[in-house]
Amino acid sequence: MASAETCKPGHKPRLLLLEENEPGEDPTVQELACDGSMSPSHPEHSPEKLHHWLSSNHICPCGPRQYAERELAHKLEELARSNHELEQFAYVASHDLREPLRMVAPYTQLLAERYRGKLDKNADQYIEYATDGALRMQALIQDLLTLSRVGREPVPLQPVDCNAVIAEVVRDLEPTISESGALIQFGKLPTVPAHPSEMRRLFQNLIGNALKFRGKERPVIRVLAEPAGRHWRFSVTDNGIGIAAECQANIFKIFERLHTRSEYPGNGIGLAICQKIVEQYDGKIWVESQLGRGSSFRFTLPKGVPEPPESES
Amino acid sequence: MMPAPEILVVDDNPADVTLIRESLAGTFYQSSVHSVSDAATAMDYLKREGKYKTTVRPDLVILDLKLSTPDGHSFLAKLKSEVDLRPIPVVVFSSSKSAADITRSYELGANSYVSKPADLKRFFSAVRAIEEFWFGYASLPPKETHERSRYSHSAD
Repeated sequence: MASAETCKPGHKPRLLLLEENEPGEDPTVQELACDGSMSPSHPEHSPEKLHHWLSSNHICPCGPRQYAERELAHKLEELARSNHELEQFAYVASHDLREPLRMVAPYTQLLAERYRGKLDKNADQYIEYATDGALRMQALIQDLLTLSRVGREPVPLQPVDCNAVIAEVVRDLEPTISESGALIQFGKLPTVPAHPSEMRRLFQNLIGNALKFRGKERPVIRVLAEPAGRHWRFSVTDNGIGIAAECQANIFKIFERLHTRSEYPGNGIGLAICQKIVEQYDGKIWVESQLGRGSSFRFTLPKGVPEPPESES
Repeated sequence: MMPAPEILVVDDNPADVTLIRESLAGTFYQSSVHSVSDAATAMDYLKREGKYKTTVRPDLVILDLKLSTPDGHSFLAKLKSEVDLRPIPVVVFSSSKSAADITRSYELGANSYVSKPADLKRFFSAVRAIEEFWFGYASLPPKETHERSRYSHSAD
């Protein structure tokens, strides 16, 4: 039995199609190649030759299944390559865009600092727009860079203690936490195989969102984890403004924002980063929420390093 | 009265050079800032060759990495391989935060590595902190001994 590997693109013929002609005439022969292409009547189709082909290895024994498998493997390979190229592009673009912008932002800031009130009212307004735009673009590019860096960590996974991560995130978010009077509670959290910087980013974005989209009462944010088969199921639950059912499906998409920037600042990349981080560890992320009743972001992470898939025999 | 410190900035981006000058304008140390935009000119400057025969040897070099060939790393390697230039402290001041660039710089003998902050205020304070550290706290080799060490020490 031939395996799919023996079947290479352009390998032919897979089948010889014979059409019977008038009695006494030689049959017409067509070749059907593995890639599905049909070649016209073979010029040398004497019964002797035919017999030789059929008895020799000229005919590729691939069946339709092998053919389909080979096609699928090819498409997957192409898809992986094009995905990789896209990621590479996003990374290089966001990395290289930072450099020229690094000139725009400080110089608009310098203009604002040195010339505010010295030109006219319009000029002050223009400078303010430019400064604001440059700063927002800097944040945007930084987030895009973060997004495209997910999964590019060159070092292997290591045990990450989520308690330590949360403690660090809480320290980083301290100004917002004390300003909002938020209460952050977390149970005993597990240690998972991951990249520390990505786990920090994941919790930072989720807890940061819980603080940002807070309701009228004092924010209470609870981080919990429970075993779920071979995974841990985490939850980051808040008592904030919640998310309407019809909006929940889209919130993990990049650039998806449910509010205007003046209501809630942000660029719509935070949850896309969370999703990419969780999914690269073979986990899932979703939200359970009711408008006005708070949100609970749930995600799963494997308890151990996933075993490499067994190679098929 | 001590003469004002001399800083040589090696950076091919005039906008960055201007920001560095702005950062140091009116500080206590009143450093005089000179700038060149490529490694070959910088080497002439340090060795006081060509049109730089009469310039004063800098007390500190602030070096960008992204120069036209030879790049900042090659320039750094060359500078640190010359016995009489080696004592001049070199602060790499680059927009790169990559671990590879940082490690390489220290391996080649950089005296410190500072990433160029994107925010104006942080940029100013970073440059001022460099000046403050090297001229306010660190002890530098006396200028004349740079010259003398050529004759009194063998190459180590």
